[in-house]
Amino acid sequence: MAMNYNAKDEVDGGPQCPPGGTAKNRRPDNTAFKQQRLPAWQPILTAGTVLPTFFIIGLIFIPIGIGIFVTSNNIREIEIDYTGTDPSSPCNKCLSPNATPCYCTINFTLEQSFEGNVFMYYGLSNFYQNHRRYVKSRDDSQLNGDSSALLNPSKECEPYRRNEDKPIAPCGAIANSMFNDTLELFLVGNESYPTPIPLKKKGIAWWTDKNVKFRNPSGGESLKERFKGTTKPVNWVKPVYMLDSEPDNNGFINEDFIVWMRTAALPTFRKLYRLIERKSDLHPTLPAGRYYLNITYNYPVHSFDGRKRMILSTISWMGGKNPFLGIAYIAIGSISFLLGVVLLVINHKYRNSSNTADITI
Amino acid sequence: ANDVSMIKSAHIGVGISGQEGLQAVLASDYSFAQFRYLQRLLLVHGRWSYFRMCKFLGYFFYKNFAFTLVHFWFGFFCGFSAQTVYDQWFITLFNIVYTSLPVLAMGIFDQDVSDQNSMDYPQLYEPGQLNLLFNKRQFFICMAHGIYTSLALFFIPYGAFYNVAGEDGQHIADYQSFAVTMATSLVIVVSVQIALDTSYWTVINHVFIWGSIATYFSILFTMHSNGIFGIFPNQFPFVGNVRHSLTQKCIWLVILLTTVASVVPVVIVRFLKMNLCPTLSDQIRQRQKAQKKARPLRSRRPQTRRSSSRRSGYAFAHQEGYGELITSGKNMRAKNPPLTSGLEKTLYNSTSWIENFCKKTTDTVSCFSQDKTVKL
Repeated sequence: MAMNYNAKDEVDGGPQCPPGGTAKNRRPDNTAFKQQRLPAWQPILTAGTVLPTFFIIGLIFIPIGIGIFVTSNNIREIEIDYTGTDPSSPCNKCLSPNATPCYCTINFTLEQSFEGNVFMYYGLSNFYQNHRRYVKSRDDSQLNGDSSALLNPSKECEPYRRNEDKPIAPCGAIANSMFNDTLELFLVGNESYPTPIPLKKKGIAWWTDKNVKFRNPSGGESLKERFKGTTKPVNWVKPVYMLDSEPDNNGFINEDFIVWMRTAALPTFRKLYRLIERKSDLHPTLPAGRYYLNITYNYPVHSFDGRKRMILSTISWMGGKNPFLGIAYIAIGSISFLLGVVLLVINHKYRNSSNTADITI
Repeated sequence: ANDVSMIKSAHIGVGISGQEGLQAVLASDYSFAQFRYLQRLLLVHGRWSYFRMCKFLGYFFYKNFAFTLVHFWFGFFCGFSAQTVYDQWFITLFNIVYTSLPVLAMGIFDQDVSDQNSMDYPQLYEPGQLNLLFNKRQFFICMAHGIYTSLALFFIPYGAFYNVAGEDGQHIADYQSFAVTMATSLVIVVSVQIALDTSYWTVINHVFIWGSIATYFSILFTMHSNGIFGIFPNQFPFVGNVRHSLTQKCIWLVILLTTVASVVPVVIVRFLKMNLCPTLSDQIRQRQKAQKKARPLRSRRPQTRRSSSRRSGYAFAHQEGYGELITSGKNMRAKNPPLTSGLEKTLYNSTSWIENFCKKTTDTVSCFSQDKTVKL
């Protein structure tokens, strides 16, 4: 009977209490976290999200790829291999020199003029600066000017750690194999004698390398005094404090040395050698014409089938000449667009069967 | 007492705590008070657990294959000297700090369908019985995916760094910049992959995934700073690297290209599988999503069929009437129901009211509690 209904007679919601009545309630908390009811976003890959994504990727990547490719093609670059393996090359005589140093000259012609800042690189091939034992063969605290490490280099530098009973500064295989060819560039102009191109040797290393990572040891006034008690690396001609006459480019902070110590990732690489600054907007930095390259051939690469090159290149917003990135972007962009089209067709064909809300088991 | 050996020898032993004592409970893996909770244990929690575990394993193998095989490809270009592509610190921290939390969150919180649907469709339990979500075939698929990702991760930067110079003409193809580029693309690629894998994004998942990427960048900037180099020059030789490489546009273009190249095949395969041959789980998920859109936001109302069955009860009133009941509000509004268990609670409330009513009248209330399976 409804009149007999008593609102107070409602049983408490939930499963029955244990018949004891006063037993401890062991139910876990009814919070969203513990009952796994946290509010959540549950995304599903639908045609409405995936297909536009592919089209957008295609539409973004293809113009980027074209932009990079066009930029890369507009960069001027010339590579001169001067290893001298070819018997007709002028540097062939330097492969087995009778007198060191050996000088050779290579003539080349620039078809087009180079505008803006021009960068001169030396490139090596088949030179594994990324070999594990080579990479670890250095002492960063010694190169940072630490005086205790100067006289007692780390064990990683073996076997280039001590020589003639004195510690080597800078120690290690990387420093020992420093590139020591000298390259000079001359323009054959209308006058009888050629004009040398001014090559700037400062500003080729990273700022943090030159100012933070590499420091000369402190101590006496002259650099020679500060390196007292050490000896030069085995394969070097001059000791480290005679690398350059200018004091802010001498010792460990010599920029050519710093550039060499930054080991390359792959066996074919190029390292910045000199800068050719642009003169003015009216004259090109390197006009088209005949040039010749004077080489002091000191660095032997022939024994391990290596190659040496000199590279002159201009620079754009994305760096040096590199068609790979442009082509890769165009490829992936067009593949993505094509896949978008294919998926659209597939989706359209099978749309009827997948549109029903029935659950087919 | 004779159940204890049975429980111990099973893969999963379940005991019921009750009048017969606690021996079964002490020997079992799971125990509860009523036999009917077994359904929820199996169909909801057991199934979710299998689902989460398989996803976790698949992702973990993929991540480590992608991370490690890069060194295999690099071996061809470093004279097979076992030079690592990444920085030593990155190798140490990768599995502990940068990628552990997102996958942990996925392994704890992920759900493919809600618990209500898990109970309504017991056929969802089949993949667990048939070992479909992680078997030899799935493992080889994970491995192949990891191999493909490592190929993209290595060869795209390789092509971009081959014999090039940077924006300011200076060295960009050095070992340290290569390592930073590859490490950054790896972290981003595996984070995007876990973002694709996670199908139930709670707040915690968001925090862990985006937080891991933010942690990676902050640790990277710290390790490449001048300060820490000053303290330990031999341990942190990467000084200045991040400032130089990550400010170059072409490095970011490489990272973007690598990410897209690694992720696009996964998206295609999953999209095609979901739309052309969807599993039961996929179908229920799609239906859940459609229901969520169609349903109003406040889902705290009881379902209509209950009120209709109650309404059919009104028509039989020979007695005084239900005025008192209606005005008490008991059948209109359940007592603070939580989101998904609200349905059970309101039903239980009405069931209890019905039971009370059954005690007082001789009318047989038709069993509108029988058309649903038993609720826990």
